[in-house]
Amino acid sequence: MKASKAKLVSVDGVDASAVIAAARRAIVRPGRGGVSHWDASGIFQDLCVADAEAGAPSARTLLLLYAADLAFRLRWEIRPALAAGRTVVAAPYVDTAVAFGRAAGVPAGWLTNLFRFAPPPAERRFVTTTRGAESGDGFVGLACQQVHGLGRRARRRLIGGAAAHLRAEARRQARRSKR
Amino acid sequence: MRPPAAALQAARRSARAHFTDPGKKRGLLVAFEGPDGSGKTTQRKLFKTWLKSEGYDVVTTKWNSSDLIKPIIRSRKQVRALSPEEFSLLHGADFRHRVEQIILPALWDGKLVIADRFLFTGLARDVARGLDLDWVLKLYQPLLWPDLVFYFAVSPITSGKRVTATRMPNFYEAGQDVTDVEDPVESYQRFIARVIREYESLALIFNMITVDAEQSIGDQHRQIRELFLEGQRRPWSAWNTDAVAEWLAGRGAAK
Repeated sequence: MKASKAKLVSVDGVDASAVIAAARRAIVRPGRGGVSHWDASGIFQDLCVADAEAGAPSARTLLLLYAADLAFRLRWEIRPALAAGRTVVAAPYVDTAVAFGRAAGVPAGWLTNLFRFAPPPAERRFVTTTRGAESGDGFVGLACQQVHGLGRRARRRLIGGAAAHLRAEARRQARRSKR
Repeated sequence: MRPPAAALQAARRSARAHFTDPGKKRGLLVAFEGPDGSGKTTQRKLFKTWLKSEGYDVVTTKWNSSDLIKPIIRSRKQVRALSPEEFSLLHGADFRHRVEQIILPALWDGKLVIADRFLFTGLARDVARGLDLDWVLKLYQPLLWPDLVFYFAVSPITSGKRVTATRMPNFYEAGQDVTDVEDPVESYQRFIARVIREYESLALIFNMITVDAEQSIGDQHRQIRELFLEGQRRPWSAWNTDAVAEWLAGRGAAK
């Protein structure tokens, strides 16, 4: 067990390609760390091929599925790598889902409870651009396309709301680290 | 997209007005709960036939049956790939989707919904798998409480005998993911004892109507009819306001 050097870093944002790029930059020593991406379990891949008649999921349903995927990533990717003393960059992790949930009007208390099983990261990084999400990339982009058949303007508002939440979270963290 | 506070407030008022309007036949939600082999599906079918003969417009929803989530759960169960958390979260998602797509629309239209298993199934099984009751219960928020919950009580021995008389319990039904017992029948006996213990606590906490499922089928059915006729006159539970309001606000936002 080399857990002493183990480190969990989260990279959260609505811009999927920028999140991936930031995750790669976060690994200082490539041989000693790796990135855990969302949908490692394939849940959302399966969701995308579901029959349209099954009905569009709500924000809460999508968040429950995201949490199930995160539980899978923790079990198979994140915890084993940490146990081996490696740096794991979870991109995205909890903050992206919380930002989406808050923008969709889901109560903060429900979101806190939902992700109670996820260990807090040693370091949190945020990507604040929104490019890519509108075309359906990443969790927020895909979720906005899936949720209750929203129109383009409503999707844009939801993406903007999630990004604003992440920016606010980044500012809060910056203030905390200055103290 | 975010339902503003005013929209949610308006949706709450609308929900209360809709379900308490004395001039309208309001929707009713009746849940059948109990361990496997308790005979609740038989009773649910008899009850539905009787309700239809009495002129009720009946909709049935079963556990783990949403067209969207069920295939996701099934494929993962087949390869035994679910941890207790994943199992719990996926069933919670399936339940949420059915609440929004089947149960609430039917209740809004004044129909009678029979749920063959409700969220208490998730609670009993997940807690029997070692998860925290408080965490699991909150996953199901905003909570939608049935007008009546019938709990079909049987002993672990009876449940085991009835289930294994015709088939072998499957991996998750037998709780083999948490018992580490190789023999499905032995594992089932151990796991169902835990599930029943949780069910019995829940039946007390949530004021379920306990039906002695060791009685004859006919006696149980008569009892259910009588209890339903008494219970259906209960007023609408204001606890359900948030669940209905969120659904209404979501529909409004989509439009």
